[in-house]
Parts: sequence; structure tokens; C-alpha cells
Amino acid sequence: MSTPCVLFVDDEEGLLELYTSAFGREGYRVRTAASLDAARTALAGEAVDLVVLDIRLTEGSGLALLREIKAATPRLPVVLSTAYARYQDEFSSWLADAYVVKSSDLAELKRAVRRCLGTTG
Amino acid sequence: MPRRSVSAKRPRLQRVPAPLRRPPAPARSTRFRTAHLIATLHRVSEVLETVVEADQAAWAALVALTAGEGLGFNRAFLLLLQGDELRGLFGVGPRSREEAAAVWAEIRQREVRPLERLARPDPLVVEGERVRHADLLARLSHTVANGCAGWRRAFVGRANHPNPCVRHWIGVLDSEALAVLPMMSSEGPWGVVIADNFVTRAPIVPATLEAAQTIVHALRAALERTRLLDSLHEEQRRLVAAEHATTLLETARTLAHDLKNPLALAGGLARELVNAPLPTGDSLFKHLAIIAAAVQRAEERLAQLADGLASQVSKVSLASIEVGQVVGRVAAAFQPLADSRGIRLVFYRPARELVAVAEPSLLERCVENLIGNGLEALREARTPAPVVRVAVFENADEVHVEIADNGPPLPGLLRADPFSGALSGPRSGTGLGLVSVRRLVDAMSGRVEYDEREPGWVRFTVHLRRSG
Repeated sequence: MSTPCVLFVDDEEGLLELYTSAFGREGYRVRTAASLDAARTALAGEAVDLVVLDIRLTEGSGLALLREIKAATPRLPVVLSTAYARYQDEFSSWLADAYVVKSSDLAELKRAVRRCLGTTG
Repeated sequence: MPRRSVSAKRPRLQRVPAPLRRPPAPARSTRFRTAHLIATLHRVSEVLETVVEADQAAWAALVALTAGEGLGFNRAFLLLLQGDELRGLFGVGPRSREEAAAVWAEIRQREVRPLERLARPDPLVVEGERVRHADLLARLSHTVANGCAGWRRAFVGRANHPNPCVRHWIGVLDSEALAVLPMMSSEGPWGVVIADNFVTRAPIVPATLEAAQTIVHALRAALERTRLLDSLHEEQRRLVAAEHATTLLETARTLAHDLKNPLALAGGLARELVNAPLPTGDSLFKHLAIIAAAVQRAEERLAQLADGLASQVSKVSLASIEVGQVVGRVAAAFQPLADSRGIRLVFYRPARELVAVAEPSLLERCVENLIGNGLEALREARTPAPVVRVAVFENADEVHVEIADNGPPLPGLLRADPFSGALSGPRSGTGLGLVSVRRLVDAMSGRVEYDEREPGWVRFTVHLRRSG
């Protein structure tokens, strides 16, 4: 597999900056989207290998985008990354390949990304 | 305990021991007897149409069946269908001939007229009857079999009755003849009331059986209504809890999003700076600026949250309201419940209007809590002659709402600061209810006090600022 491309979707610009820096250093190609529309545009363009998706976005729920992604490209892994742990109880979140609670320590998110990319080959 | 009225003129009763004889009564024509039955039915129907508690409904119906000036049965028992069992739940009347002699003599001597207290029975007596009959009621309980409880019409059962339930009851009660009064609704059987004359051995005549069945129909309707009321209250509690849960859930999500995002960002970038090779000057400056902005955002959001919580109180829109009207409305709403528990709920307000600065719905909730607290305390304590007193009055600066009851005082721990939230013993739920009262009163810029200055009375006084 060539350098994997990861799309981060979050309305927190600073977090996108952080992901770009941290995951760039890990050797990933990083794409970012600060809104649902921007994410749809990014997904329609360059192929990505994994999406890290926030749930509570300014203009709507990331869970809606999750359903769209899984309907269009079921094999594209999606990692939900959110500040609120209890979204795991919501039935719609079960579509995701992994669920990570946001933390200043990115280790768990990195592990989830590695695991999901590994499982998809 | 039901009053006996026994006719000495009736030849078949001449052999009955003196204490068990009915008192002399005028010759009763059929017309008199019919009028008497109708009067009894009318009286008990009125009560059964308004009761809100199952115990009181059962008591009223069984007393009407057994009172001398009622239908005159010696004793009666209520059995309700629970699962596949007809379970004995309530009974009225003596347990033995000896007990009947003693009790009826006392009733005659004291001239007790049970029908006059149907609507407001003494809770002590009601509970006493339940306890007294507990053993017998347990023995009367029977698994439903071979059409038990499926009867549609009243009948008189005897020892040779084909139904096993009837034979079981006759055996347990050692009865010669048993009035079996089924309780049936359109949805199926509810239970049965059984009654007999095991002491006087008076025959159960068709007119009495028919009147008894009418009372039992009214009892079934009353019990159905109390069940419906209970389920409505339960549903209301569930809805309120669900609304609270939804609000809390949304608050939790908002808090997580608004606070955790900037904190995760600041911490994450700080870790990056620690772990990553030293960035260029511009990059370092940019990261530090993002961290500073994130921390500042978290601080601001925290301040907004604190202000938001504090402002919940100031959002209350206070106005000049007539306090007596609001308090009177709440007291009137509690009146049926107080009546059903045999508690006198007395409300006093002066003829003139007493206007204070308050918020009607908050004041209502506050008074509801305090009256409800008094009624609960009195029910649990079984105080003789229980009273809840509600009064509205004024002085130069304030309008006062006083809610007092002659129940037990607050527990020692709670008395030091009744509104602190400490949980109570005898007054169940008092602690949390009083916390709520204080918050409500605070929100109206008033104050609430507790005292036991009047011996035997527990008193809460809400003080509200006078208006105009």
C-alpha cells in the first residue's frame, strides 16, 4: 500500500491543524475538511483510505455523513472521533469501524487509524 | 367497625344471644326495606364515585355491605384477581361469634354509625381491619380454577356448590351460606366480594343480594378508576423523568463538545511541541497561539456556563400576584386526597386581597410540596384527628403562607437545617422536597422558615415581599 491518505473531518480548525501535524509526521497523507460539505467534496475528489469523523459539527451531525459514506463505499473505514463518549450508545454510530473519544493524547486515535488501515490491507 | 341493627321481633333470632340481637326496629314493610336499600346504595355510590384510593373504596363498599343500617351482612371480604389467583385483600367484620358479641355490643353502646363516616374513615381503623383479617384473607386466597371469578351474576353458595373456590371459601369461613358477588368488567373478571351471616344466620334474600351486587359493581368501577389514576400519575412521573433525562443528555453533549474540544486541542498541540522536532520559529509561534486561543475559549465557555446556571434564578419573571388565590387553588386541589385519607385540610385567607411579589407556578409548586409533605407525614404517622392547616396572612412588609400539620416533628438531624437536603426518616422524602421549596422561594426573593413553636404542630412559613 502506498502512503495512506486520511481525511479528517472536524469543525475545530485548530484540531485539524493538530491532526495535520501529528499524522503528517507519522507518514500519512493528510486531508482536512471543516464542514460536511467540504468533506463530501473531498471524498468526491481524491481517493482517501480512511476518514476520521467528528460527530457534533456546526452544521449537522457527522453520523449523517457516516451513513452516506457507508452507503456509497462500504469498505472505506471510518473512525468516529468525538468529545462525548456516550454517542457509542447510539445505534447509528455502530456503522463506524472504530470509536475514539477525543483527548489531548492522540495515541488511541493513532492506534485506531493503524488498526483500521491494517484490516483493510 | 360496622354497627349491627338486629330486630328482636323476628322469631328466628330469639335464640341468638343477647349481644347479637338486633335492636328493636319498626316493622319493616317491603316498601320501607326498598327505600332503605336505595338510601344505602345512594350513599355508598356517592362515596365510591369520588374516592381516589383503593383502600378507601374497599372500606366504603364492605362497610356498606356489613353495617346494620346498610345491608347487614355479618362480614365481607374482597378478593382481587392477581395473575391466576384470587387474592384476599381486605375484610370487614368480626372473626368469631365471641368477637362479634363484644364488638357489636360496644358499637351499640357507643352508638357508632359507620355509614356516616364512609367518606372519611379513620385510617387507623381501616389499617386495623386489614391487619386483623390478614391471616383469614391469606387463607381465602385461591388459585382460579374451573370458572372461578368468571361469574357474571351474584349467587348464594353453599357447602355442596360445584365450584371449588366457593367450597374453599365456605370451608375457610365455616359458613352455611355465602353471598358470592362477582366483579366483572368488559375486559374480563376482576375479582369477587364474598359475604355471609355466620353469626346471625339471617337468610340472604334476593333483594339484599341484588343490592349487594350493585355496591360491588360500584366498587369495581372505583377500583378501576383508582388504578387508572395511579397509572396516570406513574406515566406523568415517567414523562417528567424522561424530559429531565433528555435535557441532561443534551447538556452533557454540549459540555463535552464545548469544553473538551479546546482542551484536547491545547493539550494535543502541547504534546506535539514536546514530542516533535523543534519546529521553525513561525510554526512554534503558530502552535502556541492556537493553544492560547483554545485555553481562552475553554475559560470563556466555563464562565458562560457558570453565568447561565446562576441566571436560571434571575430568569424567573416575578410579578404582583394575589397570594390567597394561588394558595387556595392548590389547597382545593389537595382536598379530595386529604378527604380520602381522613385528614382535615383547613384553608384560611382573609377577605381582602394579599398581593406579593412572586411567580404563580413557582408558588404553586412550593405550596404543593409543603401540603403534600404534611399529608404524607400524617398518613405515615397515623396521628389521631390529623389536620393540615394552610393560612395566608400579612404584616407590614410581607405576605406569609403558613402550612402546618399536627404530625410528627422533623427528625433531629433535619431540624437543624431542614432545607439543607439531608434525608429524613418518618417524613419520607421531606429532605429533598424542602430543598426544592427553598430553591423555589429563593427564586422569588422570599424566604422559608420551619418552627415547632406551637406544641404538637410542625409549621413551615413562606415569606414573600408585599407588593404595592
